[in-house]
Amino acid sequence: MQEDNFPCQDIMTAVDFLQNFLNGISIGSVYAIFALGYTLVFSILGIINFAHSAVFTLGAYLTYSLAVGQFGISGILAGFRIPFQLSFPISLLIGAVLSGITGVLVERCAFRPLRARDADSLMALVSSLGVALVAVNVIQYLAGSEIYSFPADVYGDIRPAIMFHVAGKVVVIRTVQVIIFAVSMVILAILVYLINFTRIGKALRAVAENTSTSSLLGINVDRFILYTFFLSGFLGGIAGSLVGTSFGIAGPYFGVTYGLKGLAVIVLGGMGSVPGTVFGGLIIGLTEAFVPSDYSAYKEAVAFAFLLIVLLVRPQGLLGQSQIHKV
Amino acid sequence: MEDFLQNNGFLLVTLTQQALLAISLYYPLMTGQLSVASPGFYAVGGYIAAIMGTIDFFAPWRAVLGWAIFPLEWLIAGLVSAVLAVLVGIPALRLRGIYLALATIAFVEILRVLCLNMEITGGAIGIFGVPQMFENRWSYIWVFGPLLIIMLLFTWRLEQTRVGRAFKAVREDEMAADCMGVNPTYFKVMAFVIGAVLAGVVGAMSAPFLNTWNARQGTFDASIAYLAYVLIGGSRSMWGPVMGAILLAALPEILRPLKDARLIINGLVLIIASIYLPQGIVGALQRLRIFMIRRVSSMSGGS
Amino acid sequence: MSIIIEVEQLSRNFGGLTAVKDVSFTVEEGEIFGLIGPNGAGKTTLFNLMTGITPVSKGTIKYKGHLLTGLPPFRIAAQGIGRTFQNIRLFKGLSALDNIKVAQHSRTVSGLISGIFGLSKCRLEEKRATEKAWKILNLVGLSDRAMELAANFSYGDQRRLEIGRALALDPNVLLLDEPAAGMNAAEKHSLTRFICEISEQFNLTLLLIEHHVPLVMNLCDRIAVLNFGELITIGSPAEVQKNPAVIEAYLGAE
Repeated sequence: MQEDNFPCQDIMTAVDFLQNFLNGISIGSVYAIFALGYTLVFSILGIINFAHSAVFTLGAYLTYSLAVGQFGISGILAGFRIPFQLSFPISLLIGAVLSGITGVLVERCAFRPLRARDADSLMALVSSLGVALVAVNVIQYLAGSEIYSFPADVYGDIRPAIMFHVAGKVVVIRTVQVIIFAVSMVILAILVYLINFTRIGKALRAVAENTSTSSLLGINVDRFILYTFFLSGFLGGIAGSLVGTSFGIAGPYFGVTYGLKGLAVIVLGGMGSVPGTVFGGLIIGLTEAFVPSDYSAYKEAVAFAFLLIVLLVRPQGLLGQSQIHKV
Repeated sequence: MEDFLQNNGFLLVTLTQQALLAISLYYPLMTGQLSVASPGFYAVGGYIAAIMGTIDFFAPWRAVLGWAIFPLEWLIAGLVSAVLAVLVGIPALRLRGIYLALATIAFVEILRVLCLNMEITGGAIGIFGVPQMFENRWSYIWVFGPLLIIMLLFTWRLEQTRVGRAFKAVREDEMAADCMGVNPTYFKVMAFVIGAVLAGVVGAMSAPFLNTWNARQGTFDASIAYLAYVLIGGSRSMWGPVMGAILLAALPEILRPLKDARLIINGLVLIIASIYLPQGIVGALQRLRIFMIRRVSSMSGGS
Repeated sequence: MSIIIEVEQLSRNFGGLTAVKDVSFTVEEGEIFGLIGPNGAGKTTLFNLMTGITPVSKGTIKYKGHLLTGLPPFRIAAQGIGRTFQNIRLFKGLSALDNIKVAQHSRTVSGLISGIFGLSKCRLEEKRATEKAWKILNLVGLSDRAMELAANFSYGDQRRLEIGRALALDPNVLLLDEPAAGMNAAEKHSLTRFICEISEQFNLTLLLIEHHVPLVMNLCDRIAVLNFGELITIGSPAEVQKNPAVIEAYLGAE
């Protein structure tokens, strides 16, 4: 009898493991994409952009507006219905581009005036927080504070989930998880190519290394700061949209937790390191997924526990360096 | 007068309370430490008061001590905060700048999640029906007010003494202070503990004031708010946090007629003030004073 | 004359880079000891090792027979070793007077509570500290601007203030890191006189890093020459000047 149970137990544990692994990779890659927005800005300016979570939120709302277009019952746009709807991939792309533009606006409003005045970097913190506050409240003003969920058929004809049975247990792979992972990998590949193999990427790395030398070498530092913020906003918008489709948009403040977890990701990975950020995101995502269900309430603390422990034990994180280097 | 107090008493007490919390953040900043840990200690202090005020275990204490249970709550909150601050502070204060800020953010978040999930703290619902110290809200000024005055006096005196100079030296240049005989870690921890104790005591006073207490009392949002008070008000003088708190905490109330737009305006104020008032309001006032003095002396010199 | 500082086989590595390698020397009480060498030779690193800012990789430093290696900077300062910095590290936001008062920290004891409540012992201590700070300001010629912020002083005045601050430690040994940098000939001349005066007046042993060769030759009893972290030679100014290895180090480094 005992021998009979054993292999079954193993398979069941393996199935649980597989499910958790898939969940973890999925959410981990979103964390990574989001946190890369922080990493890019930190590499170039050495500061943390606290408005990043607002861009994340904005991206989600924008994609929702373009793909679904039906607003709720509170806010100025209550009951409003956008006359057209775009397919999900297009909405995602446009939403991300608009988020990128927002990133540039954030730079213009919150960071550039401070750089012009050679201000204390603490002020950039307050300034970007101010921008976040404004942005989130504008969203609330327009779209209200209710929950927005993407309809199940938002991906068109693709099935919402694939299920396969292993030894009497079911492993579910939600379509959105596949999409998240696929989009993340594509984005990452493009980013790696951009940073390592293009002239723009080289210039970005130069600026990250040393702004004054770069400008002496004829690189238009301001323009590259702009590109960085666009890219950062783009990533934030994508991450927000992916989370929005996966878990729904729980109101304009749903980005705050992600914003904070993103900080844990970059500290774990090493601030300013692109591969570090990716590892950090995956590690935190996987750890959260493997928290036993009895303790699921403590999932939220995982990222912060990592943050605290890393800071106390090894502040530079896994791959900490202060510039974007060859990935 | 009665009407004014009725309508605005809650606001005035809140402003005083916020000023105190701003000062709790100012202390670590006096040694150059950007710590946003205050909301964590505030939450702990409040829970201590709420728990001591409501659960059965303490019922005999409440019966024996009567009103005196409140000062006891403050004392215990202060002690617990001090111990927690030393435990957290000593390892964390080896970090500099933004790393320390992040560590304190993590601390606050972990505490929040713990409080959200423990039975003794009432889980997500929190603790209700915390016994009141006074009959009406306005009377709480008699605890927050004196505490604020005591803290202002304490801080004013501190800045004139050897320990205050040590704080400032560590803030200006930690390495140079070290080489001049000042133990930076000792004073950083001291400042951190003072801020923590203050936040804890204010929390213990606030739980009866607010009547309920839950995990929303100690959040990252609160950290941002207190940080804004100090930076906007001016981080180089004790009046900065006070003025910053009074202005920024009153702002949403003043803007109440604008309803939804008020938080937007709050955000705009933060952006504009951080750009145009790098030394905060107090710094700007000081520059204005110097400017006026020069103006007056040049005018009288000219004529 | 007794040996007041003893450095033995001192080394410091940063990853693959050796900043200081097997340096050994002694300093006699009351000496003015010069430390010269091309840029990057490890002179300031040596000072940093002696004052505890940089941890030692190998070797020992002894002061009056006590081991200094491994002590934190504030303890080394309290033992009586003061210093100035190559890049001037005054407390910019504090007044000149306060800068000097801070340095008396290890010689005073008022704590948090006793200070705030103004107990008579603390008030007396505070008064004495203030008086002493004024004396030092007089000595460096800056007493007319005692209440001004250190940030507002001219470069030369800042250097003087920094030396004054180090003196407030009541040091036995003073480490001066390029005190004459950026000064013109007249200022260098008065600095040389000033250093001689304080050395006598306060019974100081001085260690001096300096690039300006005539100043070092005039002032120092003995000179140590460093290059690439290693000690090339120690001797009197005359000896060092004629040493071929020293000449090569300076000219070769061009």
